[in-house]
Parts: sequence; C-alpha cells; structure tokens
Amino acid sequence: MDKDLEKLSALYDGELSSSDTQESLAQMNANESLKETFQKFGHISDVVQRHSKQKNLKVSFLRDYLSKINPVMSNLVTAAATVMITIIILYQVDNDRFEVDRNTSLQLSSALSSDQAKNQLLNADQNIMEHIINIMQSNQSNNSQQVSKNWIPVGFSVNPNNPNQYSNGRNNLFFHLENKQLGIKKVKYFKANNNWIYIIPLQDGRLLTAYGDVPPSVADPMIQLIYQRN
Amino acid sequence: MKKNKGDEVFVNEIKAGNKMAFEAMVLKYQPKLMSSLIGYTKSRDQAEELCQKTFIRVWQKIDSFRGDSALFTWIYRIGINLAKNDFASSFSKSSKITDSLDQNEHDVPQYLSPETELIAMESENKIMEFIQTLDTDTKTAFTLREIDGRTYDEISQILRCPIGTVRSRIFRARQLILEYMNQENILNG
Repeated sequence: MDKDLEKLSALYDGELSSSDTQESLAQMNANESLKETFQKFGHISDVVQRHSKQKNLKVSFLRDYLSKINPVMSNLVTAAATVMITIIILYQVDNDRFEVDRNTSLQLSSALSSDQAKNQLLNADQNIMEHIINIMQSNQSNNSQQVSKNWIPVGFSVNPNNPNQYSNGRNNLFFHLENKQLGIKKVKYFKANNNWIYIIPLQDGRLLTAYGDVPPSVADPMIQLIYQRN
Repeated sequence: MKKNKGDEVFVNEIKAGNKMAFEAMVLKYQPKLMSSLIGYTKSRDQAEELCQKTFIRVWQKIDSFRGDSALFTWIYRIGINLAKNDFASSFSKSSKITDSLDQNEHDVPQYLSPETELIAMESENKIMEFIQTLDTDTKTAFTLREIDGRTYDEISQILRCPIGTVRSRIFRARQLILEYMNQENILNG
C-alpha cells in the first residue's frame, strides 16, 4: 500500500513516466481513497506554500540546508537555536553614505541554484555567521572590550549589570568589541527575527558588533557617529 | 513557483482526453484555487461558484495552454478574470458570463465538486508546527519540493542522494503530515 501511495506522491509531483502516470491515474480512478489522499496532498501544498509566502519559511530552513553542505555550520546553528538566524538578505552599507547595496544580496535560493553562489555563501559569510552566533551565544560581555561612551546613541543609557548593554526604555542594544578581522570593509547588517545585527569594521582594525531591536533608521546615525569619533 | 514536469504530464494527458488526468488536476489545484478565490472575493459561496466555473473553463480551453507559465498561474488567471467579470456584471446587472453549466457546449466531466473543505487557520498552524518537527532529511527534501518547486532530479543533486531517496523522503513527509492530520482530525469530514 505504501508503494502505491509513494507512487501517488510522485504522480502528484509529476515525476512519473508517461506510462506510470497513466497506470497511476487508472489506479486512482478505481479507488476513492487514493483520490482523497491526492486531494489532501493538494491541501498540504496549499497550506505550506501560503505560509511560506507569509513567513519566508524558505529561509527558516537554512539550517537544514547548511547541514547538507557544511556540518560545522549546521552544528553551530543548531547550538544557537535560540537565536535562529533568519537571514533574508545580506545588506552591505557604505561607510560614508550608508546606501544599501542590494547587488551583494545573498539569498538561499540563489545559493541553491548555483555552485558559485553556494561557495560564495559558504566562503564569504560562514565567518560572519559563526561570528554572530558565537557572540549571541556567549552573552558576550565577558570577552568584549569596553565600548566608547561617545558611540552610544542619544537617549540610550547603560545597564548597570552589563556595561555593554544599553537601553532607551523601549529598545535594547548590545555591543561587542574585539580585535578581529572578518575581511569586510563595509558595515553589514542582518535581520534576525525581531533583532538587527550590525557588524561594523572600525578604521583601527577592531570589529564592533551591535545587536538588538534597533532598526537601521536608528542605527545608521549611530554608525555614522562611531565612524566620526573613532 | 517554477514550472514543473508535473504540469506537463497532466496537461498532455488532459489534452489527450484523459478525464482522470483532468480530475487529478482538479484535485491537486482545487484547494489552492479556493484559498486564492476566497482571498479575492471574501466569500466562500462566491469562491466555490467561481472555482467550478474556472475548472470548466480550464477543461474547455486546455488546448490553448502553451506552457508559457506554470499551469496553476494559468488556472489562477482564469479564476481571477472570471471573478472580475462576475464583479463587473453584478454592477451592470446584465450578466455576460458565458460559462454557466447550462450554456457550455463542451463535454465537461461530471464529478466536479467545488465544495472543497478548507483547513482552519488554527489547524494550518498546527500543520506548520508539525512540519518543523520532521527530521532534517525529510523536511529538507519536502521543503525543496513544495516551497522551492524543485524537481526530484534537482533535489537529488542538491542533497547528493539518489532520486529514489528523494522520492521516498518527500512521500515520507506527506505520509507523516497526513497521519498527523488524521490524528488531529483535520479534514476528516
């Protein structure tokens, strides 16, 4: 019976040969239960496809995809399940003008469709993703350098329990500063669930990572200020 | 959604006069069309009527389908045009729709039943949550098929496994989802 149903599933996907298709259709014609199952496949497709449009489900499966091509990445992402990164588009921002350069966008779909894009995703962004995950996992204040108070956006004040956490009462912003090179020359930022992550390479060679529920409209002036004062 | 071989197989069979292929196509796309039409008309009754008219029109016009777009895109376009026509005629009070059952001259299969059950939003969420619990191999193959619209061949290349494995993983996902739907009494009449 399972073999019949597996064939029905392949028929649904149009993956049977012409002769198998005809055979399977004839089988379905004689069996109401198979018709019912076939229609339920249609319901499942409808639900999954509508939800994927609404919630960008495609990218939420990034972890699964990565597990196929890079177990290390998969482990890291799995370990960081609480900060499951739903990267939709990778933005790159010019230091001086902060224009969004969408040409550098990387999407899972493009990575799936070409080896070049796949390698690009792995080689160019693996370090960045690992960096983000490590910081968000480690509760980061332990190994972060102290950030300059001059960099903090107006209205934000420090959390007495965490010198690298700032809040304006509504939004929280965490900083992580270290001597690190990720090979990036421009600010990159990501949307991860309800948070934004900004990776800011400083002119003195250090790397500042800022994250929190602070959108680019608030973060951009802060980043400009950091570049002016660093 | 990409065009896929599935559409081609159904279309060829329907064009060849295989009524079971037409029925299969209706069964496959009816839930999706109903969701779209309900979204468009905001009326279940109207959507059901339009759904029936749409599939009648599809049966009549299938020879003109050249495969330039995905089959569902073509079906959807017919449905939306009929809905617009319906909407316009309700204003002009002079119905110009020529697709009613009595008027069409074509031999339309008799089993069309647009009274498709729909899955409640709460149940949809449960199904989506259940899919998240599937094992990675199964979920990945299923997702690449259903969301990315990949063919089995493409999926086998991406996942570096035989096509037979892809086929069984996708079926396994559907089977587990169906079992879950039964268990949760979703679409059990």
